[in-house]
Amino acid sequence: MKTFLQASLVLGLSAVPASAAELTLITAGDQNMVDYVNEYLAPLFEQQNPGATVRAVGTGPGDAGSQKIVERFEAQKQANVQTWDTDVAVVHEKFVGPMVEAGYLDSYRDRIATGGLVTRSNADMALGANVKGYVMPMFNSQTALAYNPALLPNPPKSYEELAEWAKANPKQFGYNGIKGGASGVSFVMGWIYAFGGGDADKLMNGPFEEAETTKWDGAFDSLAEFTTNATLTPGNAGTLDLLSRGEIAIGPVWVDMFYSWQANGQLPPEFKLVLPAPGMPGQPMHYVIPQNAPNKELAEKFVELATSAKVQAEGIVTRFNWYPGIDAQHVQAELDEATWNKLFVDVTPDDLAAKGKPFPIAPYNKAILEAYERHVTN
Amino acid sequence: MPKRLLGLLLVLPALTVILLLFVVPLATSVVGAFKVDDGYGLGNFVKSFELYTSDIVFTIVIVSLSTAIIGILAIAIGGYLVLGENPRAVAILRWLYRWPLFIPFIVVGQILRTFLAKNGLMNNVLIEAGIITPLQAVSFLDWRGIVIAFVWKQTPFVALLVSGAMASVDRSTIEAARNLGASRLRILIEIIVPQVATTLVVGLVLSFVTMMSVLSVPLMINAQSPTMITADIAFRINAYGDYGVANALGMISLVASACVGWFYLRQTLKERS
Amino acid sequence: MNVPARRPAAPGLGIGIGIGIDLWWIPRAIVLGLLAFAIFGPLTNLILWTVAERWYFPHAMPLEYGFSYWERVFSPRGTAMESLTNSVVVASLTVVVSMTLAVPAGYALARLQLPFRALILLAFLVPQAFPNLPVYVNIARLFYQLGLNGTVTGVVLVHVTHGLVYAVWIATAAFSAVDTELEEAARSVGASALRTFKDVTLPLAAPGLLASAIFVFLESLDEFTGSYFVGAPDVNMLPLLLYTASAGGNYQIASITALLLLIPSVGFMLVVERFLRSDVLSKVGH
Repeated sequence: MKTFLQASLVLGLSAVPASAAELTLITAGDQNMVDYVNEYLAPLFEQQNPGATVRAVGTGPGDAGSQKIVERFEAQKQANVQTWDTDVAVVHEKFVGPMVEAGYLDSYRDRIATGGLVTRSNADMALGANVKGYVMPMFNSQTALAYNPALLPNPPKSYEELAEWAKANPKQFGYNGIKGGASGVSFVMGWIYAFGGGDADKLMNGPFEEAETTKWDGAFDSLAEFTTNATLTPGNAGTLDLLSRGEIAIGPVWVDMFYSWQANGQLPPEFKLVLPAPGMPGQPMHYVIPQNAPNKELAEKFVELATSAKVQAEGIVTRFNWYPGIDAQHVQAELDEATWNKLFVDVTPDDLAAKGKPFPIAPYNKAILEAYERHVTN
Repeated sequence: MPKRLLGLLLVLPALTVILLLFVVPLATSVVGAFKVDDGYGLGNFVKSFELYTSDIVFTIVIVSLSTAIIGILAIAIGGYLVLGENPRAVAILRWLYRWPLFIPFIVVGQILRTFLAKNGLMNNVLIEAGIITPLQAVSFLDWRGIVIAFVWKQTPFVALLVSGAMASVDRSTIEAARNLGASRLRILIEIIVPQVATTLVVGLVLSFVTMMSVLSVPLMINAQSPTMITADIAFRINAYGDYGVANALGMISLVASACVGWFYLRQTLKERS
Repeated sequence: MNVPARRPAAPGLGIGIGIGIDLWWIPRAIVLGLLAFAIFGPLTNLILWTVAERWYFPHAMPLEYGFSYWERVFSPRGTAMESLTNSVVVASLTVVVSMTLAVPAGYALARLQLPFRALILLAFLVPQAFPNLPVYVNIARLFYQLGLNGTVTGVVLVHVTHGLVYAVWIATAAFSAVDTELEEAARSVGASALRTFKDVTLPLAAPGLLASAIFVFLESLDEFTGSYFVGAPDVNMLPLLLYTASAGGNYQIASITALLLLIPSVGFMLVVERFLRSDVLSKVGH
């Protein structure tokens, strides 16, 4: 309601110079992100801001999609373009730190009304980089193990149980290594959290110490052995694909992608999720506004709308079954209990609080990936 | 001398486009391949070979194997189109073989992943038809999947080129050989293929080079390690933002492709002189 | 003249059978059948996914068919039609530009003594041979500097750099394959160089040139990275939609988009074929 009041107020103020501005949004992620903007957010925004039109361009899922946005900004920066071609971008957590450091982004959170609705720490720090003010989370995502209850009625509840189970049931666990997308990466990070000799909290919060990187040898040896008993899948989508075909019984997936596949009829409705102890990483996707965006005010308004409690409730939670970006209590207030609880059918809020981890900070992240390359794939 | 000048003038517009719009931007990447923390050096190449030697070998072997299979199939298809005696069968083949040409690589990756998987469409159909039992079903989603995808997509490309060239081969020689009782296979191998060799090799070199730089097929079909160079390049960039090693790997891939191109050019140069 | 001369020889194979049942159809049918399975198996997969509403193991065929994904692709706010039009326009222009550049270049490389011939040919190979991922930042920067970003001209130029390798290499091979004696004969009866090229060389090289035009067209139609960096968000191309959907595993949308891309590809092919058959093949062998 608050948003609508604000929106109508804004509308009244800006009704005079209703210039035909075109807001350009570039988003990493799957096709449903583009559709979400095009089919849901854009009409809503255009209705509230007559004269404005929104167009969305998708750059593809995963890190590759976000990297393409970074490169686009970099190219424009190096070419000294004064007015960039992007008003709003949606990128993965991992990329906002470097973007802030490179000076591509505008600090806008304090200027928008919904800025105060986010207190979660991952909206201030992104893999160890301070991004406070530069980002608003679109939604939070989490990796978890998806399983086929017909093949595996009692899924392993922890990494230890999983390792044992995989030994007893070779090739029934599948993951996509680290080159095929972040769900595999996340599984590996979780493995290091579970079995790495060091302090997992330090990996998540820093500071970076070279010595810490030497404590993982045992974990990687066991992971290499574990991997020989696993099926390697081609990509995030590949894991879901092999699950849907019954070729593997369990594997790490992005929770949002899992629900999208179910909604698209590519995955049986009976499939379930489990978040193993001690936990697996998740990450938000962030709205960012470039420093040289052509329509900054409009861009801020757009993010304000997109992160309002109502839109987060209706768009993110109800439509997609995704975890909201802004703090839960604001969103929960907008929804009836049944809809809200649908979010937590397999993974409870307690599970999430205890076992939903962030990714390691950037230098550890790199070190773990490189160690994986040396130990497991070579 | 004016002939040389004329030649240069004719080549110049096309060459300018390539040099200005690709080779100049590429120069930054080439320089980047040699850039290390403290100035310039071979660090990126050392790291590339340290981490990815098996991938480099794998890539070259896979692509060479695919190229060889493509060559054989293209000759067979082109040969049948020229020498086939049943017009109906020729017409069917002509209609049939080209379809994969129109499917973009990324879609080839997608449809072959769902086709070749252990419980994919292919095995499902074979099982339902009673040709194999469920236990005999195997997944082809490894190096075989990559080869199948490449052959599936690129054979029509070479076959189209080769059959066009074969159609222009002087028919009287073929007729003469036929009248002397030569078998069709012999005519194909001894008369037709030598005459279309240039086109065939051009098609194969272009295929080789194209396959070397395809990213979607290894990403979507082959999950195993080793994987292809392009997948490593994507990984270096997306996971580490490491353009140095990515560019070094790009250079290695370029050198491999250029060797194949060079080999072909040497051959044609020898023939001309 | 050749064709009628061959006819009487053909039944020779069937003679042993006598009454016209050609036993050769058995191996032919097997081979063609296998080929059809290899080609249409995966394609059927594609077609099925365009209308599959629900499809997962252990069901060999989709559980539910429908067109809801077609509605999504063609939703009023979607860009599918606009992108398709853009793709076709850009691909056509790319063919025109590439062929205009490649025909003279190919002729020169095949016929005229050029210094550094091999090096020039290799230069055309480079855009295809260097994996493009790390290069596109630099290309995008250059195009931003030139003010070509977001223009059709920019996208066409990017596609031309990739198409030229097919156009130039194949044109060079096609011109090389033309018998020089035929050209010399034309010259000796007094035809000018240009006329000889137009009436003798070009028609003889045409099958190769037209084939290369098809490849340039297809290359342009499928190109994603350059289209994204140089075209989007102003000039949106269909592969953008295809790539996002396919890489994310949205099989339905990706399949529908691929099917859409088939229309211009096959259409262009048919046009070229018509041209090829009536105009060129009649001259072949004369």
